[in-house]
Amino acid sequence: MSTDHTGRPESLPSVPSIDDPRPQPPLTEHFNTGTATDPDVGARETSSLTVDGEEVSVDEEATIIDALEEVGADEDLSALCYYDREDTDRIGPRSECRTCMVETDEHGLVPSCSFPAEEGLTVRTDSTEAEEARSVNLDLVLSDHNLRCTTCGKNGRCELQDAAIEADVEVPRYGVFDDRDEYEPIDESSPFIQIDRNKCILCNRCVEACNDVQVEGVLRIEGSGPDTRIGFQNGADEMMDSTCVSCGHCATVCPTGSLVEQDYTDAATIPVPGFTQENSIGETIGEDYDGQPNPATPMKGNQTYEDDALDGEADDD
Amino acid sequence: MVGTEAATTPAIRVAVGSAEHDRANGVLEAAREAATDVHIVETGPTGAAALAPVVLATADDRTAVHANVSPDRARELVETLEAGDVPTDDAHAVAESDEGISMPKTGPLAAGQRHVLARCGWAAPAALDESLAERARDEPEDLFEAVAGAGLLGRGRGDGHTDESIAEGWETARRSDGETVVVVNGNESDPAVGGDRLLLESRPAEVLDGALAVAAAVEATDVVVYLNEDDDLAAQRVREAVENVDAGGTEIDVVAGPDRYIAGEMTMALEAMEGADRLEARLRPPGPSEVGLYGRPTVVHTPRTLAQVRAFAAAPDEFETSAADPGSRLLTVTGDGVTGPTTVELATDTALAEAVADGEEYKMACVGGRFGGITRSLDVPASAPALAGARLGTEGGIELFDGATCALEFAGARAKFAREANCGRCVPCREGSKQLVELLRDVYDGNFQPSELRELSRVVAESSTCEFGQAAPRPVTTAMDAFEREIAAHAEGRCPSGVCTETN
Repeated sequence: MSTDHTGRPESLPSVPSIDDPRPQPPLTEHFNTGTATDPDVGARETSSLTVDGEEVSVDEEATIIDALEEVGADEDLSALCYYDREDTDRIGPRSECRTCMVETDEHGLVPSCSFPAEEGLTVRTDSTEAEEARSVNLDLVLSDHNLRCTTCGKNGRCELQDAAIEADVEVPRYGVFDDRDEYEPIDESSPFIQIDRNKCILCNRCVEACNDVQVEGVLRIEGSGPDTRIGFQNGADEMMDSTCVSCGHCATVCPTGSLVEQDYTDAATIPVPGFTQENSIGETIGEDYDGQPNPATPMKGNQTYEDDALDGEADDD
Repeated sequence: MVGTEAATTPAIRVAVGSAEHDRANGVLEAAREAATDVHIVETGPTGAAALAPVVLATADDRTAVHANVSPDRARELVETLEAGDVPTDDAHAVAESDEGISMPKTGPLAAGQRHVLARCGWAAPAALDESLAERARDEPEDLFEAVAGAGLLGRGRGDGHTDESIAEGWETARRSDGETVVVVNGNESDPAVGGDRLLLESRPAEVLDGALAVAAAVEATDVVVYLNEDDDLAAQRVREAVENVDAGGTEIDVVAGPDRYIAGEMTMALEAMEGADRLEARLRPPGPSEVGLYGRPTVVHTPRTLAQVRAFAAAPDEFETSAADPGSRLLTVTGDGVTGPTTVELATDTALAEAVADGEEYKMACVGGRFGGITRSLDVPASAPALAGARLGTEGGIELFDGATCALEFAGARAKFAREANCGRCVPCREGSKQLVELLRDVYDGNFQPSELRELSRVVAESSTCEFGQAAPRPVTTAMDAFEREIAAHAEGRCPSGVCTETN
């Protein structure tokens, strides 16, 4: 059995010896992002659709949400994990949160961010089923979120908070993540970026920013089911031991307070004496760190991967 | 080319499957030691684990079926046959035939029909009677049009076109850019669903021949057989079959993916085959037929689907092509009162009850594997539309539960499985399964909220990315349909089945 894709930590040893026709990026190392290789979900050609009764034309590569935006029908959708700024061709659609579900006559409920804008689709944003799905899924996101907005550095500039406000969420159906035994310690090890996984909605934007935009190969998704979390490709437990170069792109794209630049972690907290997001959770890791001469973590330039079979050996300084 | 039949009789056939591997191997070795003139054939399993090890003794147009054979008993059978007699004493069944296992009148082999299963337990696994692939290579359009005309549906959750017309997937693959791959998805970690493994261990040559025929029909250059990592016997036999079939220039790979439930989902199967470091479902559309393995058009079929294609091509007249779901379905019966997993074949217009041996009492059944539907009655035809109409699954499993099973506890256990085993990618499945467990726990605290359970189940089923999440709430909703009062009783502190304790 040939394995022409060796050298990936924990990779499955089951690669058929058949041709992969896709062009390979000229990288010197393999990235283990932990994420699936999604097909290109954009429409193959320009098309016209009907959205809430209005005719819309969109270009090739479009998904339904592009058609919704044309007529302003996206206003009623949270589309929480959808990233619609620059780099959209390299970040998303992850289609993880399913708060952008719409009704189509042809396919039933579909996620508008990642469903091709097929010619002739009839789309409705206001069907009972679509509204119910968007509402329940937003509450499901909130159910696993540390909803202590007043102690959060992203208070007031958080996409989840915005989505919840716009959707008139008063009391989330399933409550919020509030079982203190379950809190993950905040990763304070990096002097540049703080990671609070209790606020992570697993939208994958940071992973894509790190791997597909910055081509750094630091962040990945790891685990499965309830243990799914953001981790590091070199197997490190905390950011300081990762190969991070502190470029900050992950924090730039993070929709919540999960990845925040260190100077801003308390920027938007509402001053409750002695109560910050850092001490509200009671445990942090990496606090013994006391600065370093350059922004890259020590691991950079001394990368160790768990396997020693990298077929394109990383530059070892 | 190995002949399918042991051309020479008298013959002793020993059915060896992974479930009874060591015992059956002992029987096989004993038979080989005792034999001088009698022909000894190692076959695959019959599908009836309760009877294993099974030995068939054939001579003079008669076959004696012997069940639960010990090595000593195997020697006696060989000696009787060597002496010129068919050993009918203490036989499980005797048939006036030397052409396969005729149906015994009782026991696990008596249920349903044996059409796709005809050669399971009878033929050497690598042996092939006639090659459909050769015919398809000569006339690929004929096979394509026949299958399209008949409207054959994909079987099992791992198929690229589960309960949908497989010809549509073939058409898409032919239309799409790139060299097409045919994937035989035999990865199944659900112990309640054994049809694919049975075919892979018993009739790998037929599964491969079916895959090669499909490859001809869709102009594919590669066939990949994808198994579980612990499928040692299936892998060995598939590889033997690869040696033995004429691939006509098509490349064949045999690979394995993890022994995890999600690894059988069609896109996670592709991820595993590409050597992913973590398994998660891919977005769709476009599905694998258009963009699959390494981005190439990929036709994904389970061994069960391929067996249907082959059976249909061999005898089109026996298929009711006007039916919504022509052909037959393999169903594995497990659970309370069932001695061992039994895989039977039912024509799609036959009631599920036919699969269950008489005298097996049950309170409820879960139909459709891990995320099947709960029902009190098996008086439902085995066809996809009938099963869907009864809110049951088409996965090919019937689990029986007796009075000592509590519907709420069962639904909770299946919801917990969904919570722990999902890939973690999408919110409705990852978070929805957590909340489903919590809502079921609330019942024990006196708070049964049927409308909240229904609402959440609806959203998880309708907005999850892949079939895992789409099917995950089914045990919960169907348990509520069939046992609402029993579930509600828990909110008053009572478990009618007497199995739930306060530790829940």
